[in-house]
Amino acid sequence: MSNADELLRIEGLRKTFPGVVALDSVDFDLRRGEVHVLLGENGAGKSTLIKMLSGAYTPDSGRITVGGEDVRIDGAQDSERLGIATIYQEFNLVPDLTVAENIFLGRQPRRFGMIDRKRMEADAAVLLERVGVKVSPHTQVRELGIARLQMVEIAKALSLDARVLIMDEPTAVLTSEEVEKLFSIVRRLREDGVGIVFITHHLEEIAALGDRVTVIRDGRSIGQVPASTPRDELVRLMVGRSIEQQYPRERAEAGDALLKVEGLTRDGVFHDVGFEVRAGEVVGIAGLVGAGRTEVVRAVFGADPYDRGSVRVAGTALRRGDVNAAMAAGIGLVPEDRKGQGLVLDASVEENLGLVTLRTSARGGLVDLKGQHTAADRIARQLGVRMAGLGQHVRTLSGGNQQKVVIGKWLLADTRVLILDEPTRGIDVGAKVEIYQLINELTAQGAAVLMISSDLPEVLGMSDRVLVMAQGRIAGELAADQATQDSVMALAVSTPTTGTETPRGN
Amino acid sequence: MATDTLKSRPGAQSAPGGLRRLLLDNGALTALIALVIAMAALSGDFLTTDNLLNIGVQAAVTAILAFGMTFVIVSAGIDLSVGSVAALSATVLAWSATEAGVPVALAVLLAVLTGIGCGVVNGFLISYGKMPPFIATLAMLSVGRGLSLVISQGSPIAIPDSVSHLGDNLGGWLPVPVIVLTVMGLLTAFVLRRTYIGRSMYAIGGNEEAARLSGLRVKRQKIAIYAFSGLFAATAGIVLAARLSSAQPQAAQGYELDAIAAVVIGGASLAGGTGKASGTLIGALILAVLRNGLNLLSVSAFWQQVVIGVVIALAVLLDTARRKAGTSTAPAAADPGGNRRKQALTYTVAAVVTIAVIAATSLLHGGSSAGKTQKVGLSLSTLNNPFFVQIRAGAEERAKQLGVDLTVTDAQNDASQQANQLQNFVSGSRSAIIVNPVDSDAAGPSVRSANNDDIPVVAVDRGVNKAKTSALVASDNVEGGALGAKALAEKLGGEGTIVILQGQAGTSASRERGAGFAEGLKDYPGIKVVAKQPADFDRTKGLDVMTNLLQAHPDVDGVFAENDEMALGALKALGSKAGKSVQVVGFDGTPDGLKAVEAGTLYASVAQQPRELGRIAVDNALRAAEGKKTDAMVKVPVKVVTKENVAGFGG
Repeated sequence: MSNADELLRIEGLRKTFPGVVALDSVDFDLRRGEVHVLLGENGAGKSTLIKMLSGAYTPDSGRITVGGEDVRIDGAQDSERLGIATIYQEFNLVPDLTVAENIFLGRQPRRFGMIDRKRMEADAAVLLERVGVKVSPHTQVRELGIARLQMVEIAKALSLDARVLIMDEPTAVLTSEEVEKLFSIVRRLREDGVGIVFITHHLEEIAALGDRVTVIRDGRSIGQVPASTPRDELVRLMVGRSIEQQYPRERAEAGDALLKVEGLTRDGVFHDVGFEVRAGEVVGIAGLVGAGRTEVVRAVFGADPYDRGSVRVAGTALRRGDVNAAMAAGIGLVPEDRKGQGLVLDASVEENLGLVTLRTSARGGLVDLKGQHTAADRIARQLGVRMAGLGQHVRTLSGGNQQKVVIGKWLLADTRVLILDEPTRGIDVGAKVEIYQLINELTAQGAAVLMISSDLPEVLGMSDRVLVMAQGRIAGELAADQATQDSVMALAVSTPTTGTETPRGN
Repeated sequence: MATDTLKSRPGAQSAPGGLRRLLLDNGALTALIALVIAMAALSGDFLTTDNLLNIGVQAAVTAILAFGMTFVIVSAGIDLSVGSVAALSATVLAWSATEAGVPVALAVLLAVLTGIGCGVVNGFLISYGKMPPFIATLAMLSVGRGLSLVISQGSPIAIPDSVSHLGDNLGGWLPVPVIVLTVMGLLTAFVLRRTYIGRSMYAIGGNEEAARLSGLRVKRQKIAIYAFSGLFAATAGIVLAARLSSAQPQAAQGYELDAIAAVVIGGASLAGGTGKASGTLIGALILAVLRNGLNLLSVSAFWQQVVIGVVIALAVLLDTARRKAGTSTAPAAADPGGNRRKQALTYTVAAVVTIAVIAATSLLHGGSSAGKTQKVGLSLSTLNNPFFVQIRAGAEERAKQLGVDLTVTDAQNDASQQANQLQNFVSGSRSAIIVNPVDSDAAGPSVRSANNDDIPVVAVDRGVNKAKTSALVASDNVEGGALGAKALAEKLGGEGTIVILQGQAGTSASRERGAGFAEGLKDYPGIKVVAKQPADFDRTKGLDVMTNLLQAHPDVDGVFAENDEMALGALKALGSKAGKSVQVVGFDGTPDGLKAVEAGTLYASVAQQPRELGRIAVDNALRAAEGKKTDAMVKVPVKVVTKENVAGFGG
C-alpha cells in the first residue's frame, strides 16, 4: 500500500446521478513520474472521474487517497491544496488579460495592496520557460492560438506546484506538429516527477507517450494494461467488442462533377482555390490548422463572402454569400464547431433535426408539426441516435450522438453535396465508425462528400482523393492510393506559390 | 458524461399527478396561486367577480406589451421601445381621428401601422445596421416618445367615443380589454407554437449561428419579430387610450420594464431560446394581482414598490430553484427521493413567498379593521414631489383627528396606474374617494365608474373632466400665475428679459399657471419672454434645462418656474447669480422653496397651502360620504411669499 512513489489512489469509487449510475467500483492509481492514460468511449465516465478529482463532484462512496492519506475533495480549493491541477478541453482563461495575469489569476503577487506586476511577469517568464513556449508574459491571451493557450494552462498548473496534472483530451484540437511539442513538454514534466493523467481518443498517442492505461467502460474500470498493449486489444477493451475496420470506406463509382469551385479567393485568407467533387466521391481536405480549410468551405456554403471566383453545383453558379442559395442547390454544411454553430443546444432532438426543413415544410407560414415529428423519428432511427426520446435536449447527448443530429438535419433536406468540417473531432471510436458508415451510404446513393479533417489517418482512410491546403492555397492533390502521411505532411508544410500575401485566420 | 439516459419522459408519471406536475413545472404559476390565496385571506374584497375582472383589465396593457416582448426575448433580443411605441400609436389614433378627421376605422389602422413601422425600423437597425437590440430600441424609445409629444403638442388628446367603447364592458360586465388580452394571448401562443416564424424565434434565440447555417433567414426574421412587438405595442396603446378616454403622450412610461419583468417571471430567459405565452400571462397577472391586492390592503404607497420588487425577485428565484432541482432529477419511478426533494423545495419556496407576502402586507397595512369607521381612499398623482407629500401629510393629519381610515396611493405620474388604483378603491368599497388626477381627462372614466357605484369623489389640486365630482379643492392656479408675473415684473422694475420653465406638458397645472402668468405679464410690456421650455416639474430637469438656456441667453434678468422644484433646479444652474443679477420666482411654496426664499436666492414663491388642500379635501370627502352638501369649487387661496413675509408662513 504505502508505495512512496504513489501520488494518488482511487478505490471502489461510485457516483450516481438521479436515475443513472455514472461510475461504479472504479479503481485507479497514479505514481510519480508516469503518464497514466485514461481510455474510454465518450460517456464511459472519464469526465465524471476527473471531475471528482478536481472537486466539481463528490463521490457517493469509495476512497480517494493522496500521498497515502484519505482525503475528501469538496471543491476546487481542496484539489488545489492537494496539488491536483486539471486542464480541461475548454480552457479557463480570460481572453482580455495578459498571459502573466492569467497564470496568477486570483493569486497575483501583491505589494502594498497593489499588484506587483514586475514580480508577476518575472515569475510567469520562468514558468513559460519551463514549459518551453516562447510567449511574452505581457501578451494578451486573446492573441494566442489554441496550442499556446494550452501551454499557458500548463504553466498555470505548474505555478500551483501541481504534483498531479490531469489533461482532458489535450491533443484533440492540436495539429500533429503541436502534438509533438506537447508530448515533449509532458515528457519533461514526467522527468520532474509529476504524475500525469492523460485522456485521449487517439490510440497511437498511447504508445508514444503513455506508461500505463486504465480502460473505463460504462462507468466501470475494465482493466489496467501497459501502454504497449496492441491497438486492437485496446479497442476491444474500450468498446467491448472488436472493431474490424477503423476506416470502412467502400468506394463507389464516381459520377459527374456535382460541386465545382474555381479561383475562389478571399484576399488575405485564401487564394485561387479550385477543385471539384463528383457524385459518389469523398474528397478530403488536409492541412495544418490555419491553412484556410474552414474558411474555404464556409465560403463555398455561402456562410462567409469571398472576393473572386465561382462555386457551381451541377453546372449552376451560386450567388456568393447566400446560404439559402447553396442550400437550394443541395449543399449542406456540418460545421467544425458542433455546439457553437451546428446545434441549438437547449432545443430538442426533434427541433434540431427539423431546423433545415422548417421553412420548406411550412405551409402558409404554419409549421407541419406532425410531418416534422415523423421525419425526425425516421431519421433518428436510421442514424441510431441514442437518446431518451425525440424531446431530449441535445445538450445532454454525447458528442457522437450530437454529431449524428447535425448530419441528420441535412439528410432530411435531401442534401446532395455534404461538407463535413472535422466530423469526428471529440467523438469516440464506436461513433466514428458509425459516421464513416453513414458517409458510405451517402456516396452510394450518389451524393458528394467534402471532408475536412486534421486526423490524418481518417483523411487517408476515408477519402477517394485528398486535397492538401497550405497557407490559404491548394498545395496539391493526391489520389487515395498515393496519399501517405508523409506525402500529405510534405505538402501541408510547403509554401505553395510565391504569393506575397501572408495568410491570416486559423 | 453518461447523461444520455438522464432525461425523463414527461408522460411517464401517473395521471393524478397532473396538477401537481403542472405546478412543479411552472414556478411562476405556483407563485401566482400562493399570491391569490394570500390576498384572498387578507382582504374580503379581493375574491369578487368585479375585482377579478378589474385585475384582468389592469393586467391587459402590461400583458399585451409582454406578449409582444415574449417574441423578442425568445429570440434573444430586447425591446425597450414598447412603452413609447404604445403611446405613439395611441397618439396617432387620437390625432388622426380628431384633428385630422380621418374615419375611426382608418385611424385605428394607422395606429397599428405606426406600431408595426416602429418595429420594422427597430428590426432593420438590428439586422442590417448591426446595432445591439438594447441600443436600437433605446433610440426608438426616445424617438417614439418625442414624436408622440410632437404630434399631440404635449397635451392629451381626447379620443372619439367609438374607440373609447373599447375600454367599456361588453354585455354590461365583460370588459373589452380582457377580451383583447385573451385574443392577443391566444395569438401569441399560436404564433410561437405553430408558425414558421415562431419556431424560428426559438432557433435564433437558442443559437443564432446554427440557425443561420441551417438556412433560416435570420435577418428577415428579426425584422418580423420586432414588427410583431410593434404591433402588440400599438394594440396595447389603443387599449390604454380607450380605458383613459384620451391618448396621453406621456402614457406607458417605464412599461417596457414591467413587460420584461412579466416575461422573465413567466420563465423566459433573457439569453433567449425559452419562453411561453402562458408564462408571460402568468407573469403579467402576478404583477397585476400584487398591485391590486396591495391597494385593497391599504399598504403604504412607498412600501408597495418594495413589496413588488421583492416578489419579482422571489418569483424568478422560485423558478430557477425549481429548474435546478428539475435538471438533476430523473423519473419518479427511478428515484423517488429526488422527486421528493424537488417537491419539498418548491413547496418550501412557495410557503416562504406566501408567508412573506402575508407578513409584509399585514405588517404594512397596520390595523384598519376597527369597526364602522369611514374608509376614504386618496390617489395622489405622485409622491415624488414635496408638494404632494404635503397634501398627504395634511390629509393624514385631518383623517387621524376625525378617526377616518385613509388609504393613500401613489400613481407615479402614470394615468393608467391611477385608473387602476381608483378602480381598486371602488371595488374596495370606500365611502369616499379623493383624487389628485395625473391627467384631468384620463381620470374621467374611472371617476365615472365610481359615480355609477354612488361613491362620492372629491378632486384635489386638479379637476376631473367628463365626470361628476362632489367638490374640487384647488388653489387658484390662474390667479397664482398672474400674481407670479406681477411679483417678478415689479422686482425687475418692468424692464428685462425672462425665461419660463414649464411644467409637465399637458397637465392642467402647467396650462393654468402658464396662462395666468401670460395674462399677468400683459400689464408689463417692458418684460420680454425669450424662451419657454418644459422641465417637467422636476428639479434635475430644471437644472439641466436652465443650464442649456443660459448658454443661449446668458443675460436673462428673471426666471419664472411653474413650480418650486424647477425653480430650485434653476437656482443651482444660476449659481451665484441667483437672487443678485437674476431673479427667480417659483410656485407652490414647498418647504425647500421657502427655505430658498429665506436665504434670498429665490426671490419669491407663489405659495399654495398643500396641507390645507389635503385637510379641506378630507373634510369635503367626509361631508359627501355622509350625504351633506358640498361646494362644487373650493378655492384655497395662494399668496406670494417673499423674504419679508416668509417667517409667518408655515404651509
